[in-house]
Amino acid sequence: MGRFLLTRLGLAAITLFLLSVFVFLGANLLPGNVARRKLGNLADQSAVDQLNHQLGTDKPILVQYWNWITGLLHGDLGTSLSYQLPVSQLIGPALTNSVKLAAFAFVMVVPLAIVGGVVAALKRDRLTDRIITVGGLSLAVVPEFVTGIMLILVFGLWLGLFPVSANAPDGSDILTQLKYLFLPALTLVIVLFGYISRITRAGTIEALDADYTRTAMLKGLPRRTVVRRHVLRNSLLPTIAVIATQTGYLIGGLVVIETLFNYPGMGRLIFTAANDKDFPLLAASVLIVGIVFLVATLLADIAYSLLNPRIRYAAAE
Amino acid sequence: MDDTQRRVDAIRKDRSELENHIIDEYSAGKITRREFVRRGTVVGMSIPLVSFLAAACGGGGSGETTGGGTSTSPTATSAVQSGGNIRVALIQPSTEPNPLIVKDEGGAGLLGSTGEFLSFSNAKLELEPRLAESWSPNADGTEWTFKIRQGVTFHSGATLTANDVKTTFESLVDPKNASNALSALGGVLSPGNTEAPDDATVVFHLDAANGNFPTLVSSANYNAIIIPADLDPADWGKTFDGTGPFRMESFTPKVGAKFVRYDGYWGEKANPDGFELKFYDEEGPMIVAFQGDEVDFVEHFSVSGGQALLSDPNAQVIAVKASTHRQIHMRTDKDPFTDKRVRQAVALSLDRNAMVDGLWDGKADLGNDSPFAPAYPSTDTSVPQRQQNIDQAKQLLSDAGMADGFTVELQTWNGFEIPDLAQLVKQYASEIGVTVNVKIVGDDTAYYGDAVFGKSIWLDSVMGITDYGHRPVPNVFLSSVYTSKGTWNAAHFKNSQADDLIAQYIAALDLDSQRAAAKQIEELLLDETPVSIPYFYNFLSAAKPTLKNAVSAATGQFDLSKAGYTS
Repeated sequence: MGRFLLTRLGLAAITLFLLSVFVFLGANLLPGNVARRKLGNLADQSAVDQLNHQLGTDKPILVQYWNWITGLLHGDLGTSLSYQLPVSQLIGPALTNSVKLAAFAFVMVVPLAIVGGVVAALKRDRLTDRIITVGGLSLAVVPEFVTGIMLILVFGLWLGLFPVSANAPDGSDILTQLKYLFLPALTLVIVLFGYISRITRAGTIEALDADYTRTAMLKGLPRRTVVRRHVLRNSLLPTIAVIATQTGYLIGGLVVIETLFNYPGMGRLIFTAANDKDFPLLAASVLIVGIVFLVATLLADIAYSLLNPRIRYAAAE
Repeated sequence: MDDTQRRVDAIRKDRSELENHIIDEYSAGKITRREFVRRGTVVGMSIPLVSFLAAACGGGGSGETTGGGTSTSPTATSAVQSGGNIRVALIQPSTEPNPLIVKDEGGAGLLGSTGEFLSFSNAKLELEPRLAESWSPNADGTEWTFKIRQGVTFHSGATLTANDVKTTFESLVDPKNASNALSALGGVLSPGNTEAPDDATVVFHLDAANGNFPTLVSSANYNAIIIPADLDPADWGKTFDGTGPFRMESFTPKVGAKFVRYDGYWGEKANPDGFELKFYDEEGPMIVAFQGDEVDFVEHFSVSGGQALLSDPNAQVIAVKASTHRQIHMRTDKDPFTDKRVRQAVALSLDRNAMVDGLWDGKADLGNDSPFAPAYPSTDTSVPQRQQNIDQAKQLLSDAGMADGFTVELQTWNGFEIPDLAQLVKQYASEIGVTVNVKIVGDDTAYYGDAVFGKSIWLDSVMGITDYGHRPVPNVFLSSVYTSKGTWNAAHFKNSQADDLIAQYIAALDLDSQRAAAKQIEELLLDETPVSIPYFYNFLSAAKPTLKNAVSAATGQFDLSKAGYTS
């Protein structure tokens, strides 16, 4: 297990390094000029040049990268060009918000989708299966902003049951915060349910059709026991992988939902940083999301290997 | 002679020649009451004094034209309950709150939340004295003296002096600081030319005569909040140290800010206990938050994004006439627009009424191909309004040897209603046989480029559409867009007569002279048509019906100090 973990951590470090290069180069390749963006379209060119010099954005890109990466290795994420604040001060609250929303959405969607997928598989080709699979898929293909707007209209404006913004007032207790987060989290549940339940259904059907399941049934084990001990353990493997890959999206990719519900999370932060050509903020934010994604993937690998020893033995060889 | 007349005479003895000239204009009925109030405040008369003179001297009609549609009067006052916290939706500021570099409405809203200006340019384009008690020019308008209010304290406890004002403006006009205020003060006030002879007086020595200078240092120039002399503007965002009726309680970048009443305020204490700003990246969520009762006041919304509010009985729409507009420039030095008849033909093809109705739901004024918006008192409205005339346009093209029309590329960017406007221009031009190929180049960064000739689609394209924000006086539009050396002269229009008239207009100290120059400029630009301006649209804000006395100005400034709820 130790060797397995070391291998994974080593790969994660290489991935992070490559990510840092791509992120920095990508951010710098965006069209436009930092100082021009900051000073406005009508600012004098000499003022623009001067500000670029002050910010160091007129230096060769390799020098900029070296300054950035060495700062990063010393724990300094840099200073936001737009807000003149340490990047960490902007990323910290945004990451916390994103984690809150992602966690709430996961807590709702994961059990629901797993149960839905398993039930659909157990009722394969029957009405229940059709409702879950077709219904889930139909909801998943609706763009998230449409789903979000519908939820806002129905539950926020018409029924007045939930706030239309996701950011709870300062000092709110946990229940109030959950109330504010409910509509965006529900939007995510609707978006993700069809996908996760479909994967779970497919995995469960495969496990139900497997020889070991048939053997267990022929041994005379009760169906419930067979499902719990033999089917679920194997059918959840692809589901875990899918959930892990959704982490990056949930933490850093919710630009539309965060904008719609005016929620200051990582998605909006990354989007506005890209828009403002705020390189330090953009690069650090993407890197942080990358780290979160890698950690989630690593945890998924560990869970995978615990559920399926063949994987860790193969990795250890 | 009655008492009133005696008082008027006594007052007039102490007023300058310019002030007496304005009083004469009003008495003779040459200007309306509103124009009298506006001009009087610009040259330094206090609002109570102007109001007294307006009543005593009779003169022109009221001329009240602000507001409109479903709107309320932007300056109406109502009885309200004391206290309360007002929740305000504001578009996300794009930079840190540094008075030197703020360049958008969100940032302007933050600066004005705690900061104060020498004067406040209200919705009627009148100047209300704030940190300056009065101001007056020398004989030729090259020097303006401001008397600074005494007994004013910053929220940090320091006392305001003329040196704070001097330092603020020196830092705004210093080219090294690349201040956004230079768009208004560049070429008007040079570094080292602001003087504070004593604690209560500031003298501005201008580069050239300027009759509208007080407006350029008012809230209309939103960077010009007065900050303590020893405070680095880059650090202002840490404390929001100002002299206004509210002080900052908390500020969270990208989320919002809270403000509470400042009990040490020099004037009437603020009515609300405080207010909260909530930042929004987009207009849609802001509108939804208003409808969902999460905010009480939307600082600004557009007709296209805020249709829901225009028909919402629970929204009180505040419409302020403004000079915000779009310019359709035609390169006067490049084919096919070297012949002015071709430019006139394109302008005559436009159905401006349809544009105002279709794009702005009627909440805009017709443009007459000059930057003189109907909102400006100096605009001469006797100049005939250009209307769509397809026959005349075709005849002009024929006279110019282009009876079969021509093809031209129109470049612009994807923002606001601009792509729709471009399509309308294409459609109308096709009616006179002109093929306009619209090219949307991307966002504003792509269109404006480096904002210098040779490196900017905006300034280099043969035909383009450019967005211009509100200015309380047309000086910047005129000097930057229409003069031969103008840095924003996208039409490459070089006309010595225009240069002279614009210089005359800027130097004119009284409304008569301004309007005389304006008339000639309007007629010249209508004839030359380097640029077509189809409309000037209103600045729209929305408040809950129970929220009264919230004041908006078209610069993005708002004043909640007298606001409150009726229930």
